[in-house]
Amino acid sequence: MSASMPGELKAEPNLTPLLDIVFQLITFFMLVINFSQDEYDVRIKLPVAGSARPIDDADLAAQERLVLNIDSRGKLLFNGKELTLTQAIERIKFEAQLYRLNIKTLRGKKVDPGEDLPTRVVIRGDRDTEFAPIYSLISACQASGFRKFDLKAMTGS
Amino acid sequence: MSKKLRPSEPEIPITPMLDMAFQLLTFFILTYRPAPTEGQFSMNLLPAQPATSMEAPAPTEANAPSDLPAGLRTLPTTLRATADGAIAAITIGDNQVSGLDELSKSLAEILADPTLPFDQALIKVDPRLKYADLIRVVDVFARNKLTKISFAELGADDMGAAP
Repeated sequence: MSASMPGELKAEPNLTPLLDIVFQLITFFMLVINFSQDEYDVRIKLPVAGSARPIDDADLAAQERLVLNIDSRGKLLFNGKELTLTQAIERIKFEAQLYRLNIKTLRGKKVDPGEDLPTRVVIRGDRDTEFAPIYSLISACQASGFRKFDLKAMTGS
Repeated sequence: MSKKLRPSEPEIPITPMLDMAFQLLTFFILTYRPAPTEGQFSMNLLPAQPATSMEAPAPTEANAPSDLPAGLRTLPTTLRATADGAIAAITIGDNQVSGLDELSKSLAEILADPTLPFDQALIKVDPRLKYADLIRVVDVFARNKLTKISFAELGADDMGAAP
């Protein structure tokens, strides 16, 4: 413990440039963080397809999307929870009603239950999932009025 | 412009601000996940057709390239699977092909033939087939610029006819 003597020079590091850099880094990470990725379940191992088209950011922002994560046992993962096929079909019906209500409220346009919904359904199926559960979910979506589908795959060889 | 600090000038303590900034930085670094290189196959899938039907969904006025009925313009493709979900047999039109390379070659020949009117495909898929293999087949169709695809589940009768 040494008390500074009167007249002694005190070396104070200049923290301002450090603070500038830290704020720049914070700004960078704030800009690149993507909260919408929360709907992309990391447990899903997507199949690989060379000609899968990269996602257009403009499309991503403009269109409403319903993301269906389907794990290797064919279970739908919704908000991190596993749903059985019956629960999944109920969920899809409920989501379709929500989208209809949204369109009616926000755009003042009524979409009848028989009409097509403009919402895109994003299918993120695990590479080991069998076709049967995926087809059941696609059929449930079609029955609820969804027509536009995106099948996700990893780009690359 | 004098840069000298007057003795009475208050000093702003930077250290707490720096602490907070570092905490924020740590949070953002820890929660940062680089975007995966995901791609997609976009398609319009109309309501399910019976698996035994070769009728493809009726095209709209805008995208109908000819007056032929949709059934005649639809290229039927069948994918049968082994018990562990791999591709066992691929049938395109009436021809059985042995693998994806041959499928691609056969598809290119069919699409290049001006006498054949196919501009869409109906893929009948064995329910046991793994999704990765289905995507590989969709990939072959996409590479050959045939993107109007609809799916159907292969029925028990069709599977019984499998070799």
